[in-house]
Formats: sequence, C-alpha cells, structure tokens
Amino acid sequence: MFIQTIITGLSIGSVYALMAVGYSLVFSVLNFSNFAHGAIITLGAYIAWALMVHYLQVPFLLALLLSMGGAGALAFLNERIAYSTLRRRRAPSLYLMISAMGVAISLQNILYATIGAKLYALPPVFAMDVVHMGELTISKMDIFAFVFSAFTIAILHLILVRTKVGVAIRAAAHDMEMVSVLGVNLDVLVGVLFFIAGSLGGMAGVFMGVKYMVYPSMGWITNKAYIGAVIGGLGSLPGAIVGGLLLGLLEALVSVSSIGDTSLSTYRDVFSFGILVILLIFKPTGFFGRHVEDKL
Amino acid sequence: MAYLEAILINVAIYAIATLGLAIFTGYTGLFSLGHAAFMAVGAYTASILTYFYKVPFFLALLLGVILSVLVSFVIGYPTLRARLRSDYFAIATLGFGEAVKVILENFDLTQGARGLPGIQKVSTLGNTFLLLVLAVILCRNFLRTTYGRKIIAIGQDPVAAEMIGIPLLQNQLLSLGISAGLAGLAGGLLAHYTTFIQPSIFSMDLSSLITAGVVCGGMGSLTGPITAVALFVIIPELFRGFALWRLVFYGMLLVIIINWRPKGLFGYEELNRKNLPKLFSILGITLGLSLFMPTYRWVIESRGYEIFALFVAGMTVGIVTVVFGFLGKGLSLALSPVAERYHSFRGRFSKGLTGFGKVDADASFSRALRLESEGNDTLSRTHVNDQAPILEVKELRKNFGGVVAVDGLSFQLREGELLGLIGPNGSGKTTVFNLISSVYPVDGGTILFRGNDITEWGPTEVVEAGVARTFQNIRLFGSMTVLENVQAALHREGTYSLLEGFLRWPNSVPKVERRLRDESLYLLSIVGLEKEADRRASTLPYGLQRKLEIARALALRPRLLLLDEPAAGMNPREATELVELIQKIHRDKHLSIILIEHHMDVVMSLCRRILVLNFGRLIAEGTPEQIQKDPLVLQAYLGEKAYAIVR
Repeated sequence: MFIQTIITGLSIGSVYALMAVGYSLVFSVLNFSNFAHGAIITLGAYIAWALMVHYLQVPFLLALLLSMGGAGALAFLNERIAYSTLRRRRAPSLYLMISAMGVAISLQNILYATIGAKLYALPPVFAMDVVHMGELTISKMDIFAFVFSAFTIAILHLILVRTKVGVAIRAAAHDMEMVSVLGVNLDVLVGVLFFIAGSLGGMAGVFMGVKYMVYPSMGWITNKAYIGAVIGGLGSLPGAIVGGLLLGLLEALVSVSSIGDTSLSTYRDVFSFGILVILLIFKPTGFFGRHVEDKL
Repeated sequence: MAYLEAILINVAIYAIATLGLAIFTGYTGLFSLGHAAFMAVGAYTASILTYFYKVPFFLALLLGVILSVLVSFVIGYPTLRARLRSDYFAIATLGFGEAVKVILENFDLTQGARGLPGIQKVSTLGNTFLLLVLAVILCRNFLRTTYGRKIIAIGQDPVAAEMIGIPLLQNQLLSLGISAGLAGLAGGLLAHYTTFIQPSIFSMDLSSLITAGVVCGGMGSLTGPITAVALFVIIPELFRGFALWRLVFYGMLLVIIINWRPKGLFGYEELNRKNLPKLFSILGITLGLSLFMPTYRWVIESRGYEIFALFVAGMTVGIVTVVFGFLGKGLSLALSPVAERYHSFRGRFSKGLTGFGKVDADASFSRALRLESEGNDTLSRTHVNDQAPILEVKELRKNFGGVVAVDGLSFQLREGELLGLIGPNGSGKTTVFNLISSVYPVDGGTILFRGNDITEWGPTEVVEAGVARTFQNIRLFGSMTVLENVQAALHREGTYSLLEGFLRWPNSVPKVERRLRDESLYLLSIVGLEKEADRRASTLPYGLQRKLEIARALALRPRLLLLDEPAAGMNPREATELVELIQKIHRDKHLSIILIEHHMDVVMSLCRRILVLNFGRLIAEGTPEQIQKDPLVLQAYLGEKAYAIVR
C-alpha cells in the first residue's frame, strides 16, 4: 500500500515537475512569476483535445507533439504581447507579474466563453492498461508520463548545457544585461526561452488531461506546479524537479492518511497552500533557489 | 428602478472592497491577491451572527470587520515580518486566499460548499452608500495624517522610509488591517444583499476584479480605484450578452494598463476637476459603444439598409463620445476658479499667473522664520570638543560573500566635527555608512554613538538615537511633493492618536498638521527649496533632489549627519553653493557630519580632517594638506605605475 502511494505520488509529481520547470526557466532569466504559464498548460491540453477528440482523430504521439508546438507558440506570443514592453523598459518584476495575471485571467475566460466550463476527457491512451508487479498495480500511462517527463527534462538539460542558445540562457540567468552587451539578441533569447517553457507546459497539459480531465481552470494560477517550483526554489531547474516530485509525493501521502475518523484528503489543497505560505515565510528561496538582494 | 438600484448597490459594495485594497496595495506597493478571503471572513462572520444568533445587523457587520482585521494580522505578521519580495508576498496572499476558500468548503458551521441561504436582506442603497462615503472620508483623513504619510513613504521606498525612522512592519500591518477591515465590511454588506453566500463567490475571480480596479484606477489614489471598479460593474451591464467576456476584458485591461499606462486612471491623484474630461471621455466612449448594437438593430428594423444602419450606429457612437468629451471639458472649466478660467481663455497668449494655487509660502515662511529666531537662542556656536567622541568605530568588518568590503576600520568622530571620508570607487565608503545606519548587519567590530553601543540596533532605533543620512543614488519619495517628503520625516512629532487622525479631530489634528507644515517649510527654506514645496519630488532637477534629501535628513533632528556624495553630478557653481549650505547647517544645527565625496575641492574646503579608505582599510588620516601629499593616497588613486611616474 505504501509503495503504491509512493508510485502514484511520483507519477503525478513528475508531471508537476514538468510544469514547474517551465515556471522556473522563465523565472531564472526574467525574475518574475509567470502566472500565465498555467493558462498555456491548459491551452496545450485543449489543443490535444481539439486534435484527438473534437475535430480530428490524430494519434496520441502526434497530438502530443503538436500540442507542444502550439503551446510553445502561444507562450512566445504571450511574451511578445504582454511582457516585452515591460521587459525593455526594465519595469519592476511586480508589473510583469500583474501583466501575467491579466493574461491568465483573459485566457482562462476566453475558454469559458468559447468552449465552456464542461469537462472533457482525452482518449484513455494507456490509462486502462495496468502492469502488475507483485501486489502493485501501475497504470501504463503513469509509467509513460514518468519516463517521458524524465526524458524531456534530460533533453532540456542537454540543450541548456550543450547548445549555444542554452549557454546563452544560462548566462542570461546570471546577468541579462551582460549577455546583451556581449551581443546576444535578447528578444530572440527570451523568445526561445518562452517557446521551450511553453512546449514543456503543453506536454504537461496533455498528461494532466489524460490523467484527469480537460477544463478551463486546470492550470489556474494557484496550481500545484507553481507550488512545486517554489518548494524547489524558483529559478532553479533541479529545484523545480525535486519540488514537483516532492509535492506529488506529499499530496499522495496526505490523501491516504487520516487523523482519527476524518480523512485528510479533503484538506489536501489546504495542505499544499500551507506548505507554500510557510515556505515563503521561512525559506523564500526554496531548496535550491538563489538569493536575490537589491543593491542600495 | 429595482434594476438600477441593484447595480448601484453592487457598485457601492465593490467600491468599499476596492477602497480597502487601494489603501493597502495602492500605497504600500504590496500586492494582495487574496483579498476576497477577507471579504469571505467578513461575510461569513456577519451572516452566521445574524442568521443563527439573531445579532443586530450593524453589530454583526462590525464583528465581521473586527474578525477580518484579526485574520489579516495573523496572515500579515509572519509574511510581512519575513520581508518577502513584493511578488513573493503576492503569492503568499494568493495561497492564503485559496486556503480560506477550501477551509470554508469543509467547515460545518459555514455549511460547506452548499453555502448559507436565506440571510436577511438588509443592505440597502442608503446604508451601503453611506458606509462608502464614510469609508472614503475616513481613509482620506487617514492619508493626510502622519500615520498615512508613513505608509505612503514605505510604499515609495521602503529603505528610505526605514532610514527616516519609520518601522516597516507595524505600519504595513496597520495598512493591511484597515484594508482587510474594509474588505470584511464589503463582504458583510454583500452577504446581506445577495442573501446567499457560498465559498465559490469569494474566489480568485473576485480578488482579480478588485486588483484590476486598483491597478486600472491608479495606485496611490482612492477615488481612481473606486471609479474604475464602478465602471467595471456598470460597463458589463451596458453590454449584456457579452457577460461571459467580462473577465476576458478585465484581464486584457490589466495587461494594457500595466504595459502602457502604469499609473492607471488617476495614479497618485484624486478625482478633481482636471481629471473630469478624462473620466467623461471614458464614460462617453463606453456609453457610445454600448449604444452601437441597439441603434444598429433599431435602424435595420425600421429601414432595413445595412450600410445605413452601420453609418447611423457609428455616428451615434461618435456623437455620444464627443458630447461627453465637451461635457467633461465644460464641467471642468465651470468648476475651476474664475482666475483660472480667465487664464484658460487667455492662457495661450500670456505667460503670467505662475504659482497659482501654490502654498502660501510667504505667510508660513514668516511663521517659520520666527521659529528659527527662537531656536537660535538656544543653540550655541559649534565648538569641536576633543574630549567626547560622538561616534567611535572600532575594528569594523563586513564581508559580502568572499569580498571584504570593510576590513577592520577604526576611527573616531568628535562632537561637532566635519569629517571627510574619501577613497577610490569600491573602497567601502558607502558600506561604512550602511553599517552605521544599520542597513546591513555588522560582521565584526563595534560602533559606539554617544557612548551607546549601537552595533546591533535596528535602523529605526539608530535614527531615533540621532543619526540621519542621505543616499549616494538619491532615494526620495518620488510621487510625494517636496513638502510631503519633509513632512514624512517629521512623523515622530505628530502627537495625535490614530483615532483622532481618522476623524481629523478638530481640536488636535489641524493644529499639529499646521505646525508640521510650518516646520517643513522652514526646513525647506534652509536648503532653499521653499518655493518648490508643491512640486512632485521626482520632477525636481538632480541638484535640488540632493538638497531635498538633506532637508529630509535635518527633519529627523540628527546629532550626526552622514552625507553620501552630496555633490555628485553637480557643476562647479552648484558645488560651491552646496559647500556653503553644508557649512551653514553644520554651524547652525550644531551637527557632527561625515561627508563622502569625490569632488576633492568640496572635501578640501569643508573638512579639517579627512580619512582615506582603500579596499576597506584606512590608509591615511589627516588634514587636507597632509592627505594631498600622502604617498599611499596618491598610489591608491593613481595606481602604482602612474604614481611611480608622477613621483
């Protein structure tokens, strides 16, 4: 039973990690909380829904790739429209966050206004198939989500370490101005950054959609991925991975435990937000985050 | 009629909630994204009391407000104490808002997600508007007291606020408390108007509506956010059939405003006659647009030509917009005093009428001069007292990571001395100031000020002990006027209570405020800024901003003044004036001064003793003549090779 819970936790945690990486990637360079990332995740799931269910019957893997591309493009547009002006003006990070909040509100409500609040299911790709290992039953989708997320994050790591763009992104995370002075076109760099973050989000959205359902508020600002990113330390990629996994595990454990007769599962969300608030107060930089201090 | 009443009651209720957020976010600059939770606390408390316990409405409302305030302290104390980055604070409040919602959904007394039906319907047009007006008046009074100015100062620049002795935590909590109280009031009124509440009402959507109101209405304004939120409630009613798109519109508006007009509708201003044309144009455009579809349909039905209908509808939009535009202009002109009306007609051809509506500087000034002459009797002329050092720094040490910024620095400052502190860039001069004024914690060594060990004291305690400073990169409260900048620093001299401040108690507040104003004008006159009193500080030229910083520091009645590059960016003539000013305040105010400066002629003409720092260490000490010849100093400034050549 305990190991079963751990496995459930890890599989959902890996999807959280995937989403959290998108938050952290943007935060590491632009130093603000991109609340619109959740909306991009949602739109990724809706793209997959439109491709696989509503309009066409596109195979799962192709739909996954197209969702990633679509979500990446949306994230790119999001940056161009809502952040680039503020970024060029070097506005305080709070302004960027408010702008992101505006985008999140708009996108979510466009979904409500056009497609509606109904919950849609994505085709249960391998969700029904289970693998039996002794007493454990593991859904193939969980395994697939875990492996694919791990694989994608590994590729992202390679991109960041091996490619020129990746090196530029890592450098920009330390000092954007300096990178710009060295001749990197910041607009392109930030565009690539948002595309990568968006496509990771799109992928996570599809996994979430398969596992649960597709609905407008699935990626709302207060989503778990964000909490995961904060736990790990916003701006740190290993932090986002560890934070996402940890949050998945903790949630799975809280869901099955109880105090006396009352099951704690209804308080799972309070628990997550509780962690968020407590962590922000006592360790705002999370486990791996770097400390940012203003100069006088 | 009932429909109109419903809209107006909604306007009043949301306006109260937005006013609450405006008092907090608009002035402290901290974003609360969980304000709906405070509304929920007020709503549930009041409803449970009237519904289950039959408590009278207004008492229940009051108890709801009190509980909201208490809850805000519980959440605010740890988060504000931790001094989170402003965006982290926003996230913490957002988490809090969601947590409150989930708790309400799972709590027996609140009947979970089903909500509380059948609450009395006792909020009326009368009492909601009465409370709104009352709230606006109280908030406005509050902002014009020393308590309010402290909060505004913190919002403008927390570091500078601390350096004029304003403790951050308690003032931010005060502002949050007022804010949460108003939100709780709005919640209680809402519950007793809709007669039914459930946790999902107090969602993030509600918080975002209020936030959008504050951002679009303008930070640092009370009437701006109220106007904005009123528009937010009214406009969707004009565009019925687009109800689902309402939040899409708010979201887009947030993006547009923050990107291209961050000061919003009336940022740092209130609704006044100068803003009226703006407001009327917005009203005109929205009203015009809302008439587009009805006119179009009406023409189609009666005549049937599509192009003609489009034309008529377009004309309607245009005409309504233009009419409202003129209405706004006309009203604004009608409300202005006669002199200005005359000015507006003749204005383009004449240059006169400057200083219209400004502070009556002369009258206050003469009062202030009296103050000065009275003060002068008690002040004796400065004598450098060799026996008693006012400041004693021993083995001071500070590291930033691996970099040693101050490395075992020791020096003494005698009472009444004017000491120069020079050194190449990065030699640790400003760090020394930051350590004395407790911006950074000290890594080693002690600082004695008038015999007290102030090493571990907090910034505000150091200020109270009598240390004031200016900043290398000017830190004024940019959106406040020149006068208010100085008034803010006089916060310790506001002798009335918070309650008196809220009520603007006629026996105490105006009298004290008048005194503070005279005092501020007097301080401004010392640095020669009394004519600029009503100007916004950020619009002052650079040199004058530095002088204003000095006036603000003097308002703290310091014994020791730390001047960090006061002549930076000044031309020789301004620098000479500055030298005279520093000599004057040093002499008249009986001050001890430490001066960091790169303009060598300024330092050499002001200071009898100069310390030279390099790499955080004291490399030379002596009179200007000694320093100018010191080989170590020349080496530090020129580099070894160049020094070898010069020598």
